[in-house]
Amino acid sequence: MSDRVFGGIGLALAVFFIWQATQIQLSFISDPVGPRTFPIIVGVVLGLASLVILIRPDAAPDWPRATRLLEIAVAAAVMVAYALLLPELGFVIATALAATYLTWRLGTVPLWSFVVGIAISLGIYAVFALALGLSLARGPLGF
Amino acid sequence: MDVLGSLGDGFWIAITWQNMALALLGCFLGTVMGALPGLGPSNGVAILIPLAFTLGLPATPAMILLTSVYFGAMYGGRISSILLNIPGDEPAMMTCLDGYPMAQQGRAGEALALSGVASFVGAFLSTWGLVFLAPQLVKLALLFGPAEYFALFTLAFATLGGISSSNQAKSAFAAALGVGIAMVGVDGQTGVPRFTFGEVHLYDGIDFLVAIVGLFALSEVFVFLEHRGKETAEGKAATVGIGRITPSMSVLRKCTPTMLRGSALGFVAGVLPGAGASLGSFIAYSFEKKLVDREGTFGKGDPRGVAAPEAGNNAAAGGALVPMLALGVPGSGTTAVLLAMLLALNITPGPLLFQQNPDVVWGLIAALFIANFMLLAMNIPMVGMFVRVLLVPPRILMPIVAMVSFVGIYGISGSSFDLLVMVVFGLLGWVLRKLDVPLVPIILGVLLGNQMEANLRRALTISDGEWGILFASPLALVLWAIAIIGFILPIVVGGVMRRKMRGGLAD
Amino acid sequence: MRFSLDSRGLFAAGALAGAMLAGAMPADRALAFEPENPECIAPANPGGGWDFTCRQVGKTLQDLGLVDGTVQVTNIAGGGGGVAFAEVVNKRADDNDLIVAASSATSTRLAQGAYPGNTMDQVRWLASVGADYGIIAVAKDSPIATLPELMDQIKADPKSVSIAGGSAVGGWDHLKVLIAAQAAGIDDVRTIKYVAFDGGGEAVTQLLAGSVQAFTGDASEAKGFVDSGDIKVIAVLAPERLEGDFASFPTAAEQGLDVVGANWRGFYAPGNMSDEAYDFWVESIGSVYDSDEWKSIMAQNGLAPLDLRGPEFEAFVAESVSRINGLSKEIGLIQ
Repeated sequence: MSDRVFGGIGLALAVFFIWQATQIQLSFISDPVGPRTFPIIVGVVLGLASLVILIRPDAAPDWPRATRLLEIAVAAAVMVAYALLLPELGFVIATALAATYLTWRLGTVPLWSFVVGIAISLGIYAVFALALGLSLARGPLGF
Repeated sequence: MDVLGSLGDGFWIAITWQNMALALLGCFLGTVMGALPGLGPSNGVAILIPLAFTLGLPATPAMILLTSVYFGAMYGGRISSILLNIPGDEPAMMTCLDGYPMAQQGRAGEALALSGVASFVGAFLSTWGLVFLAPQLVKLALLFGPAEYFALFTLAFATLGGISSSNQAKSAFAAALGVGIAMVGVDGQTGVPRFTFGEVHLYDGIDFLVAIVGLFALSEVFVFLEHRGKETAEGKAATVGIGRITPSMSVLRKCTPTMLRGSALGFVAGVLPGAGASLGSFIAYSFEKKLVDREGTFGKGDPRGVAAPEAGNNAAAGGALVPMLALGVPGSGTTAVLLAMLLALNITPGPLLFQQNPDVVWGLIAALFIANFMLLAMNIPMVGMFVRVLLVPPRILMPIVAMVSFVGIYGISGSSFDLLVMVVFGLLGWVLRKLDVPLVPIILGVLLGNQMEANLRRALTISDGEWGILFASPLALVLWAIAIIGFILPIVVGGVMRRKMRGGLAD
Repeated sequence: MRFSLDSRGLFAAGALAGAMLAGAMPADRALAFEPENPECIAPANPGGGWDFTCRQVGKTLQDLGLVDGTVQVTNIAGGGGGVAFAEVVNKRADDNDLIVAASSATSTRLAQGAYPGNTMDQVRWLASVGADYGIIAVAKDSPIATLPELMDQIKADPKSVSIAGGSAVGGWDHLKVLIAAQAAGIDDVRTIKYVAFDGGGEAVTQLLAGSVQAFTGDASEAKGFVDSGDIKVIAVLAPERLEGDFASFPTAAEQGLDVVGANWRGFYAPGNMSDEAYDFWVESIGSVYDSDEWKSIMAQNGLAPLDLRGPEFEAFVAESVSRINGLSKEIGLIQ
């Protein structure tokens, strides 16, 4: 069943991709192939592969229970928040928060998670910013 | 012998305390950066250019430092592939396929040591190739016009069927998805934006590092979140045995032909601009599987599946220096950075470089030999240290992996947008793993998609839209023949045979 | 992909010479502005012309002691410079420490509207540092020896000649050929086969490989292959012959085709840069241009003189944008 849904989504994606490819503007002087042809071929391959998956599905995998799906969704949301807050909070604070959250959710007790989170953040900062000299996000506190 | 004399002069230039110290430093930093997801050889070299400038190094020592980093990163990429199933950089992607299963079987130490030896063999042989074959190899590179490149890339995709075992439709899907992702951005031929939806961050396309780190590293974090609580049993199993930390003689003997073949294929792939190390390791793996995998052990922890891609990608690193030095054409992201460095030092690579700046060229080549031995000497004893990573419980290791991935990408691009794209790739990677869709073809598609299209269009421009040009040269025909007879027909015929057999049984 | 590289301490010997030069200059130069973290954006990956411009000028600025410390070179590739242009306009409009490398490719794309929503008025144009004149070359064993011969062959059989260049269709390398073709009396320039490669290096390689019959690019891109004798320059698109290694090659004008294609190199700065900072950068880049060190760099790299500063440069860019805009419309590249 999973593969049928997957094949369906893949097919929809292929159709969308091909439709978008036909919308690519053409310039006055173009090569014989043009910017549309190759994406359309790729879209067709994508669609055919999806169709085969749809018609001949594999056995469905074990999907996790809803609570675990939520767990993954929240983790992804935390990562998105991290990406957005990184330039605002600065590297060390943002990373400590995100690392604390992930450590906690992977099964460490909260207090220890906090310690580990800060240690990870400082450790990475030491290696990347101080030793390698990468310019990491600088927050209001300068780190 | 003229060449050997020049090489001897090169050693005179290279062997100074300062150069040795630089090579050692470069090897160490390169290995570490190669192992960290998100920092590959090209970023590693780019990051260290300021260091070279800070130290005020002249051309030869600066190039020695940077190429040591380059080779070190090629060695280092395998470490996280084997231990964590996360490629440290894109050429190490193929090492995951058999390296990680070996680690799960408690043979992590053996896999690391074997891949260290394979890396050495590949890099060492390709450096000899650079010494003796550079002028001839330039001619080889000149045999490849747009049509031949297109055939070569098609061949790479054709071999995919041989790699990912079960469901060919899914690996075709993955490859098409990867090529589709590569189409995003401004069209290099006519300059029109494609699939960018007006988002200027997408004009540049999607960086393959963002894709690879998202698909492999972040999705691994999601997998652990999914299985939290259950991992105690698995976690224990993984830490049961680190295993021996040197490969046995019998394994080495078994892998020797594999390493030699992998080195040769990788070296040739490296010499061709635009193909590079990823293609080298990929082709080395797929041809080796085709050639020797009779029992179907590849993908389940076969040592040869570790030796082939590691020999291949390290040989490709040496090969990629050929067009860079002799033509001034960078064949990969890393050589592009090295080329920029040479230009900044007022050295013009090109056909006359070997005559005009022999000190730089031969000093560099001598340094490569030295760096190779250093890396071997450094990597084998360090195996014991690397495997200890597996003793860190996943609940602490995985957050480190995630944060390092973010930093690696952000530190180079300074773009939150890239991080968001990476999270999307992480979720995509998790879903696709659930559905048993292989991830390797996606990366291959992202890496090669643009080159494949560009060369198709160049070929057809030259031929005025006549598709026959794709089959016009003997070299192109050979490449097509290998692709079709070697890889596509067996899948089709095999499928038909299976169905017939099933039909026969039903009757 | 972006790389952040800087050229701290490059050329220890050069720095020493620079210190001496700086000592020779009036030390009490009254400056209303002094950049704290001077940065140069190269809107392409390392190794290209913009990268070269940033690096060499940054290094010379340091050597002459015009800036304190180092000039950080940041590579922001993408969109043919459009990503960097948008970044400067949108995010860094009042950054006084920033200069951005630019060239004819920048003005070509601005003229053709290839930086969506961006125009040349959104930034301040600083100064030029030289011009890289266009060349048209063929392989050393090609039967073609002059530009008119090449054009005649295109006229007789347009399909028999493929021309390789490092820019996309409609880009500067392509336009140079079209201008030459127009001058030679080829009416439908669309018949000319142009093959776009990723940079001049790849394009020259394909000329050597025999995949294409001619190469269009800049003098500096082809230098290594001209020195080695692998390619034959049939025309230099300059008003008069170049100096140095290129002096033996005839201009297009000498062959009766009045075509000049200069790929100028220069810098722009963010649109809201203060006047003090603008004056500082114009003056500093001017000092770089005047220095002996820069003259030798120009000679080594096949760059010809082009000295325009401040408002003069701004007017030059404006003129070049409107000329390319007109030409592109005439040819039909844009509406």
